[in-house]
Amino acid sequence: MNANKIMTEPPSPSGQTAMIGIGEYRVGSFPMMTIGLGSCIGLTLYDDTLKVGAMVHIMLPDSAGRKDRPGKYADTAIPLLLKELNALGCKDRSLVAKMAGGACMFEYFGTNLNIGERNATKVRALLKEHNIKLAKEEIGGKVGRSVTFLPASNGKIMVRRADGTSGEL
Amino acid sequence: MKLSTIQADAIQELGNIGAAHAATTLSQMLGSTVEMSVPAIKAIDISELGTYMGEESAAMVAFELQGEIPHGGYIIFYISKESAIRLTNTMLGLTDMNRPMNEMDESALLEVGNIMVSAFLDATAELLGFIMLPSPPALSLDMAHAAMSSLVAQMGEEVDEVLLFSTELVCEEHKIDSDIIMLPEAQTLARIVELMENMMKGI
Repeated sequence: MNANKIMTEPPSPSGQTAMIGIGEYRVGSFPMMTIGLGSCIGLTLYDDTLKVGAMVHIMLPDSAGRKDRPGKYADTAIPLLLKELNALGCKDRSLVAKMAGGACMFEYFGTNLNIGERNATKVRALLKEHNIKLAKEEIGGKVGRSVTFLPASNGKIMVRRADGTSGEL
Repeated sequence: MKLSTIQADAIQELGNIGAAHAATTLSQMLGSTVEMSVPAIKAIDISELGTYMGEESAAMVAFELQGEIPHGGYIIFYISKESAIRLTNTMLGLTDMNRPMNEMDESALLEVGNIMVSAFLDATAELLGFIMLPSPPALSLDMAHAAMSSLVAQMGEEVDEVLLFSTELVCEEHKIDSDIIMLPEAQTLARIVELMENMMKGI
């Protein structure tokens, strides 16, 4: 599978929601969605002047030099999204980031290996490094989350949980 | 790791024996017949995991595989939320399907998972002489994808494709549908394949 394929074009002419699996990302103004985030992070970057955004489903904090799936790791995903958004005319200073996920689904395994927390810490550090404002986050706990991102509707983001509750991020 | 047909058959046979023992314990706990499927081997790209397990609510009792190989992967007792309620209702003598799950349900699910997975691993250890011990169980009652992807994220050997072995266990009488899913690390898989091949050569 070629993970380096360009993910900037809309998924379909009808503007259907693009489902973003683990390690995948999309850039554009069409609706995007990640389902069932556990320790993974759903990160969005949004430019309000152009109504364009990007979403990525990050699984791990560090790529350790791997280049084949840039969306899978925080340290490769963030520079890549910025590059793709810049190519669409977005300025870094007008971009706003939001993120959800980073949970610890299994308490027993989580005690010595909290990947969710490590993911969130890494994303925060990288955003700071690139001077991108992190406007909101819903991170941690023992809860799965699905995230819908609507760049064309002022970058609206909805977070839905397994118990049926949902809210705007 | 790419499996040959013979290796896949060997693993299926192992799954068959393990799941048959697990099915027997479930049958005893429910006092009812439990049917099992032929074990399936699935290779799933992580980006496609959502099509295999999505947002649906499920109970997952997960164990790390320990023993000769210290971090050997995971084995999971998977049961949809509806089936989980029917299972605990049957065990606890309750009938209300629409009640919220409580600590009693969680204890019952942990216990059922523990008994079934122990039976599975006992049977495979006896067959192969390869000891895989279950860690203490951990329970997630949430979106199936959230739980499964979290386990995949913490595997020692980093993977882009998940290889998992699942066997479905169904109790018709109580409409309970569950799965035992094994998510082995590459090292565990290689060891199982080697032992199964040796055993088949010996016959």
